[in-house]
Amino acid sequence: MSTPPVSPLVTMEGVDKHFGKFVAVKGLNLTIDKGEFVAIMGTSGCGKTTTLRMLAGLEQPTAGTIRIAGKLMNDVRPHERDTPMVWQSLALFPFLNARENVEFGLKMRNQQAEVRRKKALEWLDRLGVSEFAERNVETLSGGQRQRVALARSLVTEPQLLLLDEPLSALDAHLVIRMQSVLTKLQRELGITFVYVTHSQSEAFAMADRVIIMSNGEIAQTGIPRDIYREPANRFVAEFVGRNNIISGDVAKAKGKKIEINSQIGIFKFNANRPAVPTVGKAVTFVIAADLVEVTRTKPKADNVVECTLISEEFIGSMVTLFLETADGTEFKVQLQERELAKLDHNSGGKFYLSWQAESAHLLPSEKSI
Amino acid sequence: MRQSSLLTGVLRGYTLLLFVFVFAPIAFSVIFSFNSARFPTIPLESFTLHWYETIWADPDVWEALRNSVIVSLCTSVLATALGFATAYTDYRYNFRFKSAYLALVLLPPTIPLIIMALAMLAWFSKIGASGELWSIIIAHTVLAAPFAMAITRLRLNQMDKDLESAAWNLGASEWRAMREVIIPFCKPAIISAAFLTAAVSFDEFAIAWFVSGLNKTIPVLILEIVQGNIDPQVNAIGTFVFLVSITLVVAAQVFFSLRQSKGST
Amino acid sequence: MQIDHAQNNAPTARRMDLFALTWRMPIIVWQVLFFVGPLLFMVAMSFFLVKNYVMQETFVFDNWSKMFSRGYFRDSYFYTLFLATLSTISASLLAFPASFALAFKVSDSTRRWALFLLIIPFFTSYLVRIFSWYVILAESGVINGMLSTIGLGPYTMLNTKFGTVVGYMTLTLPLVVVLQTFSLANIDRNLVQAAHNLGCSPWRTVYTVIVPLAKTGLIVAALFCFILSFGDFVSPYYLGGSKPPTLPILIIDTTKSGQQWPRAAVIAVVMMATLITIAFAAITLAYRKRTSR
Repeated sequence: MSTPPVSPLVTMEGVDKHFGKFVAVKGLNLTIDKGEFVAIMGTSGCGKTTTLRMLAGLEQPTAGTIRIAGKLMNDVRPHERDTPMVWQSLALFPFLNARENVEFGLKMRNQQAEVRRKKALEWLDRLGVSEFAERNVETLSGGQRQRVALARSLVTEPQLLLLDEPLSALDAHLVIRMQSVLTKLQRELGITFVYVTHSQSEAFAMADRVIIMSNGEIAQTGIPRDIYREPANRFVAEFVGRNNIISGDVAKAKGKKIEINSQIGIFKFNANRPAVPTVGKAVTFVIAADLVEVTRTKPKADNVVECTLISEEFIGSMVTLFLETADGTEFKVQLQERELAKLDHNSGGKFYLSWQAESAHLLPSEKSI
Repeated sequence: MRQSSLLTGVLRGYTLLLFVFVFAPIAFSVIFSFNSARFPTIPLESFTLHWYETIWADPDVWEALRNSVIVSLCTSVLATALGFATAYTDYRYNFRFKSAYLALVLLPPTIPLIIMALAMLAWFSKIGASGELWSIIIAHTVLAAPFAMAITRLRLNQMDKDLESAAWNLGASEWRAMREVIIPFCKPAIISAAFLTAAVSFDEFAIAWFVSGLNKTIPVLILEIVQGNIDPQVNAIGTFVFLVSITLVVAAQVFFSLRQSKGST
Repeated sequence: MQIDHAQNNAPTARRMDLFALTWRMPIIVWQVLFFVGPLLFMVAMSFFLVKNYVMQETFVFDNWSKMFSRGYFRDSYFYTLFLATLSTISASLLAFPASFALAFKVSDSTRRWALFLLIIPFFTSYLVRIFSWYVILAESGVINGMLSTIGLGPYTMLNTKFGTVVGYMTLTLPLVVVLQTFSLANIDRNLVQAAHNLGCSPWRTVYTVIVPLAKTGLIVAALFCFILSFGDFVSPYYLGGSKPPTLPILIIDTTKSGQQWPRAAVIAVVMMATLITIAFAAITLAYRKRTSR
């Protein structure tokens, strides 16, 4: 490997956080490398924001240790850290103008007025909002405020930047713009970003590594592609949301090739794990929605299901079809819009879904599903 | 439809009458203060500045004014500071017995002034502090602090809940964040509270009358004049008091509704 | 589950620190020394004795038995209760149409201006306003002066219950209108509209929909009115002629002329007990859920 060895910047070991009886985070083990762009994703209340706030020192872990650059941080107070955060609400100071907002962190570090001013203007310029330096922040647009907030967090040149759903208040077209601003900045500065979001598209578009949290625990961590193609468990498979999940009992097993009996028929799968399930065991497979073919005539393939179309959803040039088998099992298929036209989907009638045995991903067995 | 617009008209007219009732005594007091009649009635007698000249020349009035200004200013500073500290505590912290804490702070204005007056008089004599100007200041601060607390608390409600954390996050200690963020954010409310608490103190007569001893404030002076005979001097002093109180209360309301912002728009 | 981060932030949980104490303690010290202290001492004082004009810190029931055996005290008590009740009913009824108009029949900016104006007199020399009424209501005052030009009067308005109530209204009406307007303006307009659509006449809507919905605010307004009237001595003294004296006037007389502070304390404690009972009853009533019939 040509990449130099990287040392971890952040290490969290066995971290718990309780609020009274409520357990927000439990047994969290996490390492974040220098220069990494990590996204923590999950539904509201999953512990992602609490994790971020613990890194900033705004919450103290109930148990476990948090280290940043090797230093134990558990008892370090927020202002003694260098972990600036970009807030969901932005939290710009309304009684200061844009430049003074950016200067705030430098002022707290007792830097001289001229130095502060120069650096603040540099950062505002870098983010393309220098013309608004003397403006009241409340009169700026959402995107401009966002840039001022970023400049304010970066002006002290930290090693680690924490971002708490920073784009959630922006319009869709601005989100895409800001995503590229953020990834570009991160690459240029080489600093570590920890980015909390509930949005898959944001996490998958920007992050080197995605951490999915559920009920205070890590459900899966991996590069975006792996999380999408190879979810570690049913929660992630459902959370990622563009998956078809089939459960059944193993009927035949021959090497990696297995056949299962499910409610809607017999299917062939390739077990893509070292531990091949034995006959009679209950297993669950996941097939990503974009790996399923749709046709109007019955194709020749490993697995075929007959369905009727329920609805379709367009996002950009992509379309997701929602289909249903005769007994009501739902399937999702993702395809390009131009492919949809060939299907003559408005005429009703039967659709055939098919996929190859090797397209499926076997979920590890779980005690209870 | 016609019936309902008639009803609306009647209701609005009635409301206007109610406002006339509320403001009539203030208006008449001002009118009488410029009227030469010793016992004013309709039709009015001639215009005069006699009553103002009388109070201008009265050393008692000046003495009372001096006392009132000292008491109001000190009360304003103390009550605003206490009110601010309490509002911040309520905003920031949760602790046991918090409702008892809030009751302790907010109850004084609901207790009849005459009872507070008696209790203060007895207490100050007990601890050997009666008849002093600062005994009035202490009592007025108890009375006015809840108003300052309420005003500041409402302002803190409007604050982005992440604002203080953002300051810590950028390297401000709790003390520094207080100075650089919380206080600047609350500034309009603090100014408003200072005006309102000054108004509360400037107008209060029951407690001041009981505990003041020889150090009369303006309202106590008025009370004593009124206890004697009808004296149109009162209208002149009263007009002056109205002017001061209304200015203070209006200033308080203006600052309270001010949205503070910085920089060009 | 939502976590209230604002009140659970780390430095608080860390320890009982100097910073937190700096903001929390001053008011506790101040109120204990100068609010709770005086009130408790006043309760204690009601058991003291005065001998040769000197108060002795004893624990005897003399003041209580003396006050309760005096007919004038009982008369004064019930008269004060009566006046405060009369004032509360008058203010609530007189204020309601205006509050209704301000809540439903005017624009938002008019309402803001009206409330702005009504807050002013609440903080503006009550004493001078009562003196002004004294001159206006007098036998040869402004009102009788105007009435005489059309051949009416003169009417006696001073030293009557009418005069006293005018004074109470001066004190309480602005506050009652403000509180009533707030509670009425907070009513969900859709419910009022629904009642109209169901064929409810405007009058019926007012007392079957609006009043029950605004109940809490209306009762709180009435309670404040009662407390203010019950404790006021200016109106019953200057406009009501102090015949018979109300409890606050009795406190003043007992304290100022008689030097009988312990007996004044008895009156004050009785007043406090009455107010606490009434406040408790009012709050219970205000927050009670409507029972289904």
